[in-house]
Amino acid sequence: MKTLLTFILILFVIQLAWAQPPHIHWKKRKTVPIIDLQLFHSTQVVNLPTVETIRKGEFEFEISHRFIPPLDQKGAFLGIDGPVNMRIALAYGITDRLLINLGRSNREDNLDLRLKYKLFWFRHKTFPFSIAVRAGTAWTTQVTGGHRSNSRNFQYYGQIIFNTLLFKKLGMGIVPSYLYNSHIYCQEIQTTTTLGSYMQYYLNTIWSLYIEMNNTMNGYRHSNDAVSLGFEIETGGHFFKIFLTNSQMLNPSQFLAGADLGYFASGSTKNWRIGFNITRILKF
Amino acid sequence: MKRRIYFSFIIILFFSFGNGEEWAVKKSSENLVKFISDAPIEDFEGVTNDIDGYIYWEGENLLHKSQLYFEVNLNTIDTGIGLRNRHMRENYLETDKFPITYFKGTLIKAERVDETHYKVAARGKMFIHGVEQPKTIVGLIEKTTDHLNISSKFEIKLSDYHIKIPSLMFYKIDETMRLILDFHCSTRTDPNK
Repeated sequence: MKTLLTFILILFVIQLAWAQPPHIHWKKRKTVPIIDLQLFHSTQVVNLPTVETIRKGEFEFEISHRFIPPLDQKGAFLGIDGPVNMRIALAYGITDRLLINLGRSNREDNLDLRLKYKLFWFRHKTFPFSIAVRAGTAWTTQVTGGHRSNSRNFQYYGQIIFNTLLFKKLGMGIVPSYLYNSHIYCQEIQTTTTLGSYMQYYLNTIWSLYIEMNNTMNGYRHSNDAVSLGFEIETGGHFFKIFLTNSQMLNPSQFLAGADLGYFASGSTKNWRIGFNITRILKF
Repeated sequence: MKRRIYFSFIIILFFSFGNGEEWAVKKSSENLVKFISDAPIEDFEGVTNDIDGYIYWEGENLLHKSQLYFEVNLNTIDTGIGLRNRHMRENYLETDKFPITYFKGTLIKAERVDETHYKVAARGKMFIHGVEQPKTIVGLIEKTTDHLNISSKFEIKLSDYHIKIPSLMFYKIDETMRLILDFHCSTRTDPNK
């Protein structure tokens, strides 16, 4: 009898133990999904591409202008009276890493089709970087002499894009490019190799400043290397870029062949013109 | 006498090995966590199904020793546009520092509406963006033998959690964000969990 009572007492103790906060079996997961590394915010700086793409199934609409008259041309209101070179384009995210883009510039009615693929990225606290490749073809459909379907009216280009973002503020990029058939009117087929570079400083969540250069390393070039600098305003779906540039070209096959104006003309601003790019992400 | 002791023994044994119910979020179900933000031009919604956690109580009374904890991985919220997701993650929620938001607390009200439904209220702490605030949330629980559905609608004020409100032209959003939750739980023995 005594043993039995002792046993019941032990059970009471167990009961008290069970009365403590319950033991929950649910366990917190240890891993959280990893997001693709994104360094720059938009898919291009001015003319040169960044590594960034858009998500699968999204569209990106672009409208860009380069006002041809330089800033100080009389009666042209800083060049805004025009005429202008204009590009309209639509990009589509085939996958999260593969972007296709079809655009048209009114400059010689140049059609541009290109693909960009985000190859690789490396996460690092101080020096994260990512690499992409871009290739495209352009077709000049408004030609002087000859038929527009002539193979000489087609140009091809390829680019490798290296990006990094330092201190989460300063984006930097290098873009070696190769252009085949740089000038469709040259007797012999010309090629151009350039080394593009840019920096973009993100002042806050909305505003940023940037400078972009594209230096010709080898082959055909128009009068000068292209330089652009300006500011960017971004919202959740738009980018507004307003800048000064010495190039009037928009499509890569035309831009990579050099700029018409010199940017270091002393004591004058006449060699710069105004341009803008506006892009909008769309999802249907 | 002996019979009484044996009877007491059985009663104690019964209660000792408790009848607590632990329900954990069933990941394979169509769970929904949605937040809606009002903006002058266009409202936008963020959606995820990445909710995890549990609810526990003992006995028939849902309030008895109740505990609940639910967390949402903010990196998975999709607003429909990748760039906007990025803005939300990097600029406002700072998910690199605070990837998880959670609510933990206890049930303080459980009113049976019909055979399977309970109107409930939970009081506890809501953690968002590194800030923990007291919060009471009301909701509805549907309970069958092997399935629990929890739904709730409530609002949070972004400034309570030190979340900056973006303000540029049309992009300014309302300080109050509406949340809608609808998710499913199963008991731990459910093989589909």
